[in-house]
Parts: sequence; C-alpha cells; structure tokens
Amino acid sequence: MTSELIIAIIVTVVGASTPILIAALGELVVEKSGVLNLGVEGMMLVGAITAFVVLFTTGNHYLAILCAAGAGVATSLIFGFLTLSLSANQTATGLALTIFGTGFSALAGQGYSARPVTLMGPLFPADLAAHPIWRVLFGYSALVYFSFAMVIGVWWFLKKTRAGLILRAVGENDLSAHSIGYSVVGVRYAAVAFGGAMAGIAGACFPLLLTPQWAERMTAGRGWIAVALVVFASWRPFRLLAGAYLFGLVMTMELYAKASGGPLSVIPAELWAAMPYLATVVVLVLISLRRDASSNAPACLGRPFLPTN
Amino acid sequence: MTLTRRSMLKAGVAAAALPLLGSKAFAQSEPLKVGFVLIGTVNDNGWNFGHSEGAKYMKAELGDLVAEPTIVENVPEGPDCERVLRELAQSGHKLIFATSFGYGDYVIKVAQQFPDVKFEHATGYQRSDNVATYNARFYEGRAVCGTVAGHMSKTGKAGYIGSFPIPEVVMGINAFVLAARKINPEFTITPVYISTWNDPAKEADAARAMIDQGIDIVAQHTDGPAALQVVEERGAVGGFGQGADMSAFAPNAQLTSIIDHWGPTYVESAQAVIDGTWASADRWPGLKEGEVQIGPYGPTVPEDVAAAAEAVKNGQIDGSLHIFTGPINDHTGVERVAAGVTLTDAELLSMDWYVEGVIPPA
Amino acid sequence: MQFRLEKRREPSKVMLYATPVAAVLLTMIVGAIIFSAIGYDGVGAVREIFLTPLTNSFKWQDLGVKAAPLIIIGVGLSIAYRANVWNIGAEGQYIMGGLAATWVALSTHGMGGWWTLPLMMLAGVLGGAAYAAIPALLRTRLNVNEILTSLMLTYASVQLIYYLVRAPWKDPMGMGFPQTKRFAAEALLPNIFPGTIVHAGVPIAIIVALVAWFIMSRSVFGYQMRVVGAAPHAARYGGFSENKTIWLALLVSGGLAGMAGMLEVAGPFQRMVPGFPTNYGFTAIIVAFLGRLNPLGVIFAGIVMAITFVGGEVAQTTIGLSSSATGVFQAMMLFFLLAGDILVRYRLKRVAPQEARA
Repeated sequence: MTSELIIAIIVTVVGASTPILIAALGELVVEKSGVLNLGVEGMMLVGAITAFVVLFTTGNHYLAILCAAGAGVATSLIFGFLTLSLSANQTATGLALTIFGTGFSALAGQGYSARPVTLMGPLFPADLAAHPIWRVLFGYSALVYFSFAMVIGVWWFLKKTRAGLILRAVGENDLSAHSIGYSVVGVRYAAVAFGGAMAGIAGACFPLLLTPQWAERMTAGRGWIAVALVVFASWRPFRLLAGAYLFGLVMTMELYAKASGGPLSVIPAELWAAMPYLATVVVLVLISLRRDASSNAPACLGRPFLPTN
Repeated sequence: MTLTRRSMLKAGVAAAALPLLGSKAFAQSEPLKVGFVLIGTVNDNGWNFGHSEGAKYMKAELGDLVAEPTIVENVPEGPDCERVLRELAQSGHKLIFATSFGYGDYVIKVAQQFPDVKFEHATGYQRSDNVATYNARFYEGRAVCGTVAGHMSKTGKAGYIGSFPIPEVVMGINAFVLAARKINPEFTITPVYISTWNDPAKEADAARAMIDQGIDIVAQHTDGPAALQVVEERGAVGGFGQGADMSAFAPNAQLTSIIDHWGPTYVESAQAVIDGTWASADRWPGLKEGEVQIGPYGPTVPEDVAAAAEAVKNGQIDGSLHIFTGPINDHTGVERVAAGVTLTDAELLSMDWYVEGVIPPA
Repeated sequence: MQFRLEKRREPSKVMLYATPVAAVLLTMIVGAIIFSAIGYDGVGAVREIFLTPLTNSFKWQDLGVKAAPLIIIGVGLSIAYRANVWNIGAEGQYIMGGLAATWVALSTHGMGGWWTLPLMMLAGVLGGAAYAAIPALLRTRLNVNEILTSLMLTYASVQLIYYLVRAPWKDPMGMGFPQTKRFAAEALLPNIFPGTIVHAGVPIAIIVALVAWFIMSRSVFGYQMRVVGAAPHAARYGGFSENKTIWLALLVSGGLAGMAGMLEVAGPFQRMVPGFPTNYGFTAIIVAFLGRLNPLGVIFAGIVMAITFVGGEVAQTTIGLSSSATGVFQAMMLFFLLAGDILVRYRLKRVAPQEARA
C-alpha cells in the first residue's frame, strides 16, 4: 500500500466516521442523564433535509448546519415532552420518533431530490488543504474539526464541570438527585435537546460532507450505528472517538477491499456489515467482565423518573 | 410536440371508433384506470423515477382515454405487495404494472383472482394468461458506455457499483467490459456490490475507494447521482448517468447516460387494453424501440469517441451488432461462447458468469 | 383556572380503555387539520387511512393477515415488559424463527408430509427462543443490558438472511435472484377460508393472545411475571427468582416472535427472500404499549396498527397521498397514545391559583 493510498483511505474514513461520531456524542450525553432516545435516526433525517433545503435556498453551509441543529432540537423536544413531562415509555417513544422523522423528512423533501448542491469546502486554505500529505490533517471541512472539538468538550463537561456532575448524578440516581434539590426533568430536557442538536448536525453531514444531494432515508441506518457506538464506547467520549473511527474503518475498508479485487474481499459482504453490531455485543460482554467498568453505565438508563410525591 | 402528438392520437382513435359508434363509444367515456406499483419513491432520480415518468408520458399521450395514473410507492417485495395489487384490482384498475422483480409470485397469485385485469411485471420471468413480462435491454446501453470508457480511460480500469449480483447487473457489467475491450484489450472492470439499493453515502464511498485505487471510470447500477458526484469532485475521467440524465449533478464527469424511457411501452399496453387486443407476452425492447436511450455526450468526450459510441449504438439498432456474440471467454479465460454464436435471450436473462476482463468479486 | 397532575392510587380503568380510543380520534382530527393546512386533502386522507379498511369488507382479510404477526409478537413482548425485561430485538428473533423454519422446509423439500408444518413451527419457536437466549444469558450471567444486546443482534440477523439467500440457500432455478426456492405444498400454511388470503396464522394469533391473557391473569407464572416487574424486592422475599423470570420473559417473547416468523414465511411469503424483515418486530413494540401490555389489548392494538398500514396503501391508490404522509400519521397516533398514558396513572385536578404555585 502506498502512502498516498493510506492517506486517501484515512480521508474517506474520516468522512464516514464523522456523522456517527457527532450523533453518538449527543446520544452519550442523553444516556448519561439516564434517558435512552432511540430516535437518533429520525432526528438525523430531519437534520439532513433541513440542512439540504437551507443550503439549496441560501447557499450558506454554516446557516444550513445551524438550522439542522435547530430542527434536531425541535424534533427531540417531542421526545422530551412525551418521556419527561408525561413519563411515556422511552423505547416506544424513540421508535415513534424515528417513524416520524422518516416520514416527515420524506414529505418535506418532495421536490428537492433532483437538485444538486455543493459540498462544504475545507476549513483551511488550499495550500494546506490540498497538500498531498498535509491534507490528512488539514483537508477537512469545519464539521470534522467540530466533531473533534466536541469529543473534548463533552469529556470536559462530564468530568470537569459542576453541571456535568449534576447530569451524571441525575442519570445515576434520579431519586437522590431529586431529593438534593436538582431538577431531574430540567437536566434531562437539556440533555435531550443537546442530543437533538447533535443528531441534527450529524444529519447535515450527509448532504454537506458525504454526498451533495437529498435522498429519502439517506442516513440508511447510521443513527442505529450511533446508538450501538455509545454502548460500544461504554459511555466514554474518547473511546467513542476511537469506536467511531473503528466503525468507519470497517465500513470503508469493505469498499476499498472490494474495489481492489484483492484477497480481503473473500470475506462475505454480510459479515462486514454485521461486524459493528457483533463487535458491540462483544464489547458489552468485555465491559461486564471487568468489575470497575460496568459502573460507567448510567444506572437509570431508560427508566422513567417517577418521584413519589 | 407532445400536444400535437396527443391530439393526433386522439383523432386517430376517434376515427377508428366511428364505425362501431354505439357501445364502443360509450365504453370510451370511462377512461382506463392504470396502476403502477413501485419499490421506492418517485423521487429517487433513477429506476422508480423512470417508471413514474413513463406513467406521465402515457397519460399525456392517451389523454382522456386513461385516468390519472395511480402510483403506489415504497411497496416492499413481499406480502405487502400482494395487498396493494389486490387493492388496485378491486378499485377498478384494469391494467397494473408491477415494477420490481420480487413482486413476481404475488402478481401471478393476484392475477388468478382477477382474470379480467391485465398485469405486467417488469424484469420478471413468470407469465400467465393475464400476466405479461417486460424489461428493457439496458445491456445495449452499457455497451455504448463501455465503448466510451474503453477510449477514454487512462488506467484501463473501471469500477461498477451494483446492489446484488442478479443477472440484470451481471449482464450489464459483461456488456460494458466486452465493449471496452474491443478498444483496449487490457481493460478490466471491478464490480463492487453494496447490498442495498438506497444508501447514497455508501455509493459515494465506494466511488472514492475505486478512484483512490487507480480506477478512473465509475459505472453504477444503483439509483441516484452519488457516485457521479464523487467522480466530478475528484476529477477522475468520468462516469455514466443511470436511468436518467444526471448532468445537473456532474456536468463534466457524466460522459453520457442511459435513459430509461418506459413511456412508449406503457402507451402500447394501455392502448391494447382499450382496444381489447392485449395478449400476454414477454417484451424486451431496447435502443431500437427507444425504450433505452443514450443521453447527450459530456463536454470532455472527444468527437471521434462520441462517433465510435454512436456507431455501437446504431449497430445495435440496425441489428448488425450484438455485444454478446462470440468468441467470448469467461473470467478464467475459458471460452464460453464460440465464434459467431450469439447468446440467446434466455441465456442472458439467467447470466451468472463473468466475461474476461471482469475481476470477479468474492 | 389551573390544573395539576395528581397521581392516582390505582391506574384508572376508564382511562386505560378511553385513552387509546381518544388518541386515535385525536389523530384523525388533528391530522385532517394539519394536512389540509399544508395543502393535502386532509379529510380524505383520514377517511382512507382510518375508515376505509374497516368499512370495505374486502379489506378485512388484509387486516387479519397484517395484524396476526403483530399480535403474536406483541403478546410475547407484553409479557416480557410486564416483568421489566426490555427485549427490543423481537425483529431479530422473528427473523431467526423464519430462518429456522426455512431450514426445515428446504431440507425436507420433496419428502415432507403432515408433520412438516408442526416441525417447522417447532423449529421457528426454538429458533426465536434460542436467539433470545443470548441476551438472557448475558443479562443473567454478566448483567449486560438486554435492550442493547437484543437490538444489536437484530441487525446481525438481517445480514444472515442476506448471506443465506445469496449463497447457500439460493434457488438454483431462480434466475440468479437472491431468494430460496418456493416451499413444497406440505410446508405452506393452509388457508382457513377458501377464496381469501386468511391463513392459519390468523386464528393462531387470537388463540395465542387468549391463552396468554389467561395465563397472565390466572396462573402462578403470570403472577410471578407481574410481581417481579412491579416490585422486584417484594418478589425476592416471595421466593421468585429474578434470573428465572428474565429467562422466562426472554424465551417466551423470543419464542413467540419466532413463531410469527415461521407463520409469515410459511404463509404469505412461501419462501425466504431478502425482504423478509418487515419491521414487524419493531412495530410490535408499539403494539405492546398501545395494548397496555395486556394480551387482549394487544389484539385491539394489532388491528389498529394494521388499519393504518392497509389504509395508508388505500390512501395512496385512491387520493394519491404519498407513503411518507402515512408515516407521519402513524407517528402522530403513537405520540398521542404515548401522551395519553399519563392520564391512566395521573388525574387532572383543578386547583386554586395559589395552591398551584406551591
């Protein structure tokens, strides 16, 4: 393998990993607050169509990202209202949110399918961004650097800030957090909205970063991979980064191996495709075998908060 | 243009009906209801879009003879499609087009229950008294694309993004590389199957994986412009529009396109039902009948290459060229078709082997 | 005038039955208004989606066939969820049941008999239960969250279908298309009413729901499931093993999902195809909640969901409503249903303004 090919592969892997990383970072914060939102795929689709329509209308990539985040928040608040204010079941509500996002985005996107837009350009000047070697570091659009920044940001927030501590406490033991006087519902609303914003931006990656068009259901299941990834990373931001790139590498290497016609393509495509999910199960088992790590799973995950007043 | 053709057609039909006046004229006051069952949405820029365009064309051509066509989208290949087919038959549709292979079992089943309704199944092979099959000879278009690729590729390597290795796709790959190797005997093609019909981001990544490894022509069998957009972005030699002209997405990279034009077939079938002359058959028109069309050549295609491509196109139209005429070796170099022998349609429709020049996938 | 939510001592029986009906009605009203406002035939859409499947007797058989797998899987899930065991991988268990039944059908092809279908049924139930045993084992031995494992295994099982129908199980006469051969006559479910598509799976679904209702409300097993779910600590004192309950919950829900998979592949599908996963396993999660985790409620819920699917297709053929609009309608109905849940457990109480502020 030549160094150019390695660099090219890295660039493709970065593209494939970025949306699942961004969406999973949002879901990580949501889950740390004790809420399981399975509607990531639906929120991503709402983000994708919003970003596309804004970009097509205004031509402004940053505005498109901003609006996608806003649309993600709005969608996530449906989930928040039902599960937090009305304590509806989170699993069922999350699934309903995905049905909604799929249908809504397709409805809103009618008439936008045969319209081309342009990809978001690199953040750095062309001298660096187009350099045959340095492009591996500087050749990406702002979305990619945003995803890295958010890894650090989420880690810092959860580990180093008081707000992050409260959020974790709410996810760990909602009843005691409530009795100390924290607003469990308020904290969870904020977490769900953050998750919505990140899912919306992750959706925006599709027309802005990967393929400059709108196609119905264009996220093609990556929202579910993001949900898997959070568990795979055992709710740790830096492991999430590694996991997202591992998943991205698996998805991308399948295609590079097949396109090369080389020996790797002997592995059936179906096994490649199943690998992220099987790997997640294996990681779940490994985490639980280590006594200390299992505590990192938020204890209240998926349970409604029902104070006995 | 459509307007005049439509009015001429209407006048023609009216004239034909004159001698029979009475009942026939009365019957015509009730327009024929035609239904279309699609596997995806009409907004896919590809296969389903092509069929919905065909439906519109039929309505425009036949005017008041047919009702506004009924299009049912996103119908999965399974029992759900049986329900949709029955729903269409029950609600008075007398001609129903089922446009995906996996509908076959259900078309046959429902057709038994509605003997007075005519069914047509695209890409299928099961027929009965009121079930016809139809398809388009897309491989003829692939041969034209392969000719362009053989001339223009610098590396002599093409990639082909497909969904599943069904005969339709295998046939297309083979036609493409057979044509390209007539220009460049060293030409190779690498199929990449992505196991999905609709994942544009994966198609785009497949195109990136190809271009990064020295492939400079990317052809695809999947719907949508994702791969072409990557070719445009990377500045590789080029690719081809699939199903529709996609030059809006890739003005430089689209060398030419294969355009599905189902309209005339739909007009013909609807007219036959109206006239009472419809009979079950297997129709497989191609370039000659205009069901498969070649779009305009891109700005980077030199005139001599375009001329060579046109020659291949015209050869297939006048019958002097059939791309699957021997000698043809398979990918291991063993002769599969002797010199002068042409593969039959049945052999083509069940093609499960690759010709020389294809780097076979696992 | 202000309102406050007040927890009920016992879940309201009236609200338990009234809220699903209210949710459906509210969806029809709000849906009609919203869709009219954005330029669709809103009233027509509601009529075609919600009423035509009921008023047109031709559609009843479709409702039965579509509802049957939803009811069977939904019943199993409602039992598991009662026990606080969150199996959301029913889709995968449905797939494994279908694959196990397919394996029996293919390996006995041409030498089957009266015993083929019972054997396929056994294989289907075992296949589904075996796939659910993985999350059960991991949960009871290693305390791994079953929500996540069962979901991940679902996605892996979809790939297994693709592999099997593409390579080892491909029909040699199928023109190269990825699907198995059509099952022999002995391996196909008989139709109950001649001239319709109503297969044996439809009455089986009703029987399953009735049996489950009887067991859940009248037997020690049902009592154990409910107690462990509602009050795990009390259950431990009462001598009910939590691990045993988890195993039972997953095996029963997985086995029923596998049964549904067998009935689908031997009934409507008649062969294994890549399109076999039709999200019945996921939709059944919603059906279980809509049915208030009660097997009898699941029958009602399964039929309501079937109405929206069948009605969605009617709306496409009659008024040209796109399939995405149907999805929005379905989601809206689910949102209202889930929102209505709170009225079962809480009551709206009118309060004086100063009290509300407290």
